[in-house]
Amino acid sequence: MKVFSNSVTFNYSWEEVSIANWQKYGPWNDKSAHVIAVDTLNRSVDPETGILRTERLITCKQSAPKWLQSVLGSADTSQVFETSYVNPAEKTVTMVSHNLTMSNLINVEETVVYKPVNGKQTQFVQDARITALCGGWQRIKNNIEDALVTRFRENAVKGKEGFECVLAMSRRAFAEEREREQNGQLMMA
Amino acid sequence: MSASLAPECNEVKERYDACFLKWYSEKYLRGNGKTDECANMFKDYQKCLKVALEERKIDKLLDEAREDSKDHDSVHLKRK
Repeated sequence: MKVFSNSVTFNYSWEEVSIANWQKYGPWNDKSAHVIAVDTLNRSVDPETGILRTERLITCKQSAPKWLQSVLGSADTSQVFETSYVNPAEKTVTMVSHNLTMSNLINVEETVVYKPVNGKQTQFVQDARITALCGGWQRIKNNIEDALVTRFRENAVKGKEGFECVLAMSRRAFAEEREREQNGQLMMA
Repeated sequence: MSASLAPECNEVKERYDACFLKWYSEKYLRGNGKTDECANMFKDYQKCLKVALEERKIDKLLDEAREDSKDHDSVHLKRK
């Protein structure tokens, strides 16, 4: 098993980050072309804790290195199952993701947590555990795990840049919305 | 917002996503998340998506993944 860990601080409030998180793979993100679709499968608010639980299916363009695709058999797309928990009392968003594709050969479990640093900053903590399950030489398994860790490292940089764009656009959209509402109220008065 | 894996569901998905985001930012984060005003839109979206998942044989994979992720619920939903 290999582990990839990463942490980033965004200069936006937890509320802003948690809203933008739902738009992370939308048109505002020019660094997420590999994400083709994001579908919501289930969503509920826990009546006791107020925690919002969401299940999503994320469909990506296959991005495994070519040699790995030839070892494991390639498909055009790969899919990830994500369960997320928003805890508004503690101000945390926790997202746990698993690969659906090739899950008999590789197990990738990623956990992401967003929590406030202060009123204006939010920390993103990412932790991925990668295990090659296929039988055979340990050296091959190691190579597969290393290749996926490298891919996580590359995507982490793109992920931060892309999300920064979404955060900026989201803040601007909300400011414009507020302005429209205020103008509307002035017109009414 | 993002597309659906099934293009035929894009329209109902978009309507639901917009409703959800409004509810999330204006109600839920402000502590008024009890009512779910997007429920009907979610139903329409799921009706469309269910067919697409079955066609692509993803529904079975999802059932397995759901079974595997039950442990996460007990940790993150703070259930005893």
